[in-house]
Amino acid sequence: MADRHLHSANGNSAPSQFGGAAPFFVGLVVALILGWWAFPQVLFSKKHQPVHFSHKVHMEDAGMECSSCHYLREDGTFAGLPTTESCADCHSAPLGDHPEEIRFIEEYVNTGKQVEWLVYQKQPDNVFFSHAAHSMESCNTCHDFTETELCSSCHPNVAEMDEAPVYYENKLTKYSKQTMKMWACERCHAHPDHYGNTRSSNACFVCHK
Amino acid sequence: MAVDRRGFLKFVTGVSAGIMVTPVPWVLLDDLSIWTQNWPWIPSNVDGPNTFVSTVSKLCPSCVGMKVRLVGDRPVRILPDDNHPLSKGGISALAVAEAQMLHSPARVRRPLKRSGDGAYVAISWEEADALLAEKLGSAKGSLACVSGDETGTINEVLSAFTARAGSQNFYLMPSEIQPAAKALAAMGGEGQFGYDIENSDYVLAIGANILESWGTAIRNRAAFKDAHPHGQEPTVPYVYVGAVQGNTAAGADKWIAIKPGTEGAFALGLAHLLIKSGASSYASDFSAFASLAAGYTPEKVAELTGASADGIKALAAELQKARRPLVITGSEFGQGTPVGTVAAGMAVNLLLGGLNRPGGVKLLPVAAPVVDSALSRAQMMEKDFVAYLSRINAGKEKAPEAMLFYEANPAYGLPQADKMAEVLAQVPFKATFTTFLDETAMLCDLVLPVPMGLERLDDVATPYGSGSALYCLARPVAPMPANVRPAADYILGLAGKLGYSLGFGKWEDVLKAKAQAMGANWKSLMAGDVFVSTETVGASLSFGADLIAKSLTAKTAEGDFALAPVHKLNMGTAKTAIPPYNNKTIRRWELQGSEIYVAMNGATARKLNVSKHDKVVVSNKSGSIVARVNVFEGIMSDTVAVLMGLGHTAFDQFSKGKGENVMQLLTVGFEPGSGQSVWAMAGVNISKA
Amino acid sequence: MEAKEFKVRWVMAIDIDKCTGCGACMVACQAENNLAPVEDASFKLRVMNWLVVYELSNKQPFPDHDIAYLPRPCMQCGNPPCVSVCPVIATDKNEEGGIVSQVTPRCIGCRYCMAACPYHARYFNWFDPSWPEGMEKVLTPDVSVRPRGVVEKCTFCHHRFMQAKDKAIVEGRDPEALNDGDYVTSCAEACPNGAIVFGDVNNPDHAVYELARSQYACRLLERLHADPQVYYISRREWVRRQLDNYLENEQVKG
Repeated sequence: MADRHLHSANGNSAPSQFGGAAPFFVGLVVALILGWWAFPQVLFSKKHQPVHFSHKVHMEDAGMECSSCHYLREDGTFAGLPTTESCADCHSAPLGDHPEEIRFIEEYVNTGKQVEWLVYQKQPDNVFFSHAAHSMESCNTCHDFTETELCSSCHPNVAEMDEAPVYYENKLTKYSKQTMKMWACERCHAHPDHYGNTRSSNACFVCHK
Repeated sequence: MAVDRRGFLKFVTGVSAGIMVTPVPWVLLDDLSIWTQNWPWIPSNVDGPNTFVSTVSKLCPSCVGMKVRLVGDRPVRILPDDNHPLSKGGISALAVAEAQMLHSPARVRRPLKRSGDGAYVAISWEEADALLAEKLGSAKGSLACVSGDETGTINEVLSAFTARAGSQNFYLMPSEIQPAAKALAAMGGEGQFGYDIENSDYVLAIGANILESWGTAIRNRAAFKDAHPHGQEPTVPYVYVGAVQGNTAAGADKWIAIKPGTEGAFALGLAHLLIKSGASSYASDFSAFASLAAGYTPEKVAELTGASADGIKALAAELQKARRPLVITGSEFGQGTPVGTVAAGMAVNLLLGGLNRPGGVKLLPVAAPVVDSALSRAQMMEKDFVAYLSRINAGKEKAPEAMLFYEANPAYGLPQADKMAEVLAQVPFKATFTTFLDETAMLCDLVLPVPMGLERLDDVATPYGSGSALYCLARPVAPMPANVRPAADYILGLAGKLGYSLGFGKWEDVLKAKAQAMGANWKSLMAGDVFVSTETVGASLSFGADLIAKSLTAKTAEGDFALAPVHKLNMGTAKTAIPPYNNKTIRRWELQGSEIYVAMNGATARKLNVSKHDKVVVSNKSGSIVARVNVFEGIMSDTVAVLMGLGHTAFDQFSKGKGENVMQLLTVGFEPGSGQSVWAMAGVNISKA
Repeated sequence: MEAKEFKVRWVMAIDIDKCTGCGACMVACQAENNLAPVEDASFKLRVMNWLVVYELSNKQPFPDHDIAYLPRPCMQCGNPPCVSVCPVIATDKNEEGGIVSQVTPRCIGCRYCMAACPYHARYFNWFDPSWPEGMEKVLTPDVSVRPRGVVEKCTFCHHRFMQAKDKAIVEGRDPEALNDGDYVTSCAEACPNGAIVFGDVNNPDHAVYELARSQYACRLLERLHADPQVYYISRREWVRRQLDNYLENEQVKG
């Protein structure tokens, strides 16, 4: 008690009050740095695709289209990623001398193993997403999207990339950082302008299984 | 700079306030909730393109056609096949579970050998080959072989192998087909009985459980479906005559209860009334049959069977009125039927002009065997495995040196199963080709794993009950596990090693030859098509009056109560046991824990002074079971109904140790006249436990 | 409370007189919807079944006894008693077609809905589902596997509805006007007797349109006004009498 009394009586009360608020702001800044910068570093681990794949080479040099690999099957389901067999239609033997292509043929084509591609937008089991329903015809009754615009409203636009983007995996949930949450779906599904104009509805079973 | 307590608290406050405007708490909360939705031990969905392959079931006794749905290369569902004549858009409770059974815990995945201390040890195929070749080589001249596949051409390979080994002891597991074939032979016909149920306008099933387990049950159900337009009056009446108001009776428009084993007498009662009102035949023994039937007046039949005389008269009148009636006789549980019972039912069909007419009984052609020295189908049907074992038991015949089983489970599926297992124990060397580790495998010295029907190339040729001769292939849709081998190819190879010439080196060539013999196109069969022949064999059948007369002299069974085993396909068969997903279809008062319930009607229960859930002992000289009582009014008086398919002592956790095996109570007798082993008429005593 | 109106109303019309209780529908349902097998299924209170085949008896002594089987899926009620009691909106009836949804990751397992359902159509996962080793390979990709602690129920194989719509879109047809047979449940498809007919009751081109209007058609406990989307058809008066609570001398519907 005596100490404190002495301390406060030494005439330096103003700076001490200012110094009193400083720890608070230091704490605030530390928290902001931790929360906005360090936390994402800790939460996500970086992963790379198991095989180096250049969309650019396939699009520009080979003249392929998105739908050569990513297409709707006859039964309405979506062939998201090509199988090793469909890659082998061209790559049964190396077409060039890229070491990754040679490795791909040795490790996958020759053994029949499937590539475990990392999917940036992979949805949980309880979600049913219909690529057939989210079509140009449906959205462009009002909008004026190009195919690229429509696809890249959910997926990263990789068409012109030589290297696949880094895949950030959430260590807790094991989902990709870019996996859409329900609110993202609801931007359209719960939008009143969509009712009546599209078949979109915000009913639970429209997206859940 | 010293941090005092107040400063520290301010710092903490700052951190707390700051953290609230960062994603940390909110993202963590969200992510944690997502984390709890994806436990690693909960399997997740694995996507892939869908493909559908048409094939036929080798496990279901109704030989139902099926469409297998594959996701990627995984079979995930067994679906009905609208285009298959043995499916017609329906599927059985057994076949629909077949994809799951690929991964049954009871599957044998590598060759097993019984060691000295009785335990099974995994061995390599090379060791198995050597052991089998040695044992079969030394057993030359004294080999027996039993097949549990009724419709496959593999029986030709097996019977030819047995013949080349110097033995005539090739047998099929008993079912409805043998008595039917013997009845046809006794009536002077050739081929196989075919039942044109689709075109009939009055279907009468005496004993035969046509909507559950008799013949091509799923095809029968398709006919039943067409005859019963949804929500409307039936266009074709289905009448069921049998002891238990089971699944067939539940669908039938009329149920007439009779005592188990009196199906033949009931049919003769109908024959009597038909003859009385003018039905006749040019058959050589018509007069002999007429005088036999004359003894079966409605009153006499009512006394013998327990049905009412008026009911029999009404039924006969309805049959007469129908234009294309069909009578089907058999056993309620698909085996042990006397030949005379089938013949008596056929006699009614003959009186109704039902031979080779639409909606009647057809005689279907049977292709000659394609494998050298194989038994013909007619010869196979002559062979009676139960009689063979009984002869060994009685010391009238020597036990063979070696016995081979192919997808057969006699140690569970034969009458007096324990006794039969004892007889089998006298055989010094036994080997089984099996998919599942069944009761018979547990008796064998060598267990050789074979692929399931979904994993192998196999065939189905005109199953019993089919309305026309047909041929189709089971095609492999799932990859074969690493250490199983298809039995047919294996035996062809073994025959080569032992120097037995069967004329074929490859199973596929046998099937190609068979397809040709049936008149079918191989390519189209491999595309999943079914070859259907409209051919019939012309014949003028006799009544087999002598055989029927002798058959009906069989003495009634021992005991105060009659036993009515109940066969349902959802319970699986002797060679499949209860498929994992089918446990839930077992009704509440059929099984509780490991206790089996037996059913009887209220009058019978009162007579025994028992009520529901009471423990009783059901016994006869063959064996005894302890069970609880369920009171169910859909059962003939003085009769106890027992569900088949329980009481397994092998297989997996879904079948083993549940209830009791009713086969223990079925006593084998021999039919006067035909000499056929029969057990459709068992008596039991029931006492309170 | 008025039932929500939908343009399309998926309905089952089950002819009880055609059902023989073989169990094919129950097995097909489990396989289609990724339910787990259980070793001992005799304690029925703890056994998960989206579809159960009940046995009915006319309660007459032998030989006048008659038997019937009643397959019971979720009734997909027009006024679902389960929906109004759910505290977290894990179950709702809001989608075109009238199927009552159940989003299991949202369910907190309070089981109010089970208490509310007059048909015992809802089941609680007392245990985590488990398959014998390797059998998980046979799971379909269409339905998520539910962990313990949540309630689940028949969804009229809703994923097949989504698949049928997608197929229609790809083929250039209107996904909101599916043809009869484009979308059928697994049980209806499996039934070898054709006892279960499935379709849109509002569409005169669908078979159920007439069937639901049959003089023999009635619904389970109809007078609770839950307005079920499952119709039972039986020409037998005693069967229809057991589908609702009638006074002793009261005239039975149909």
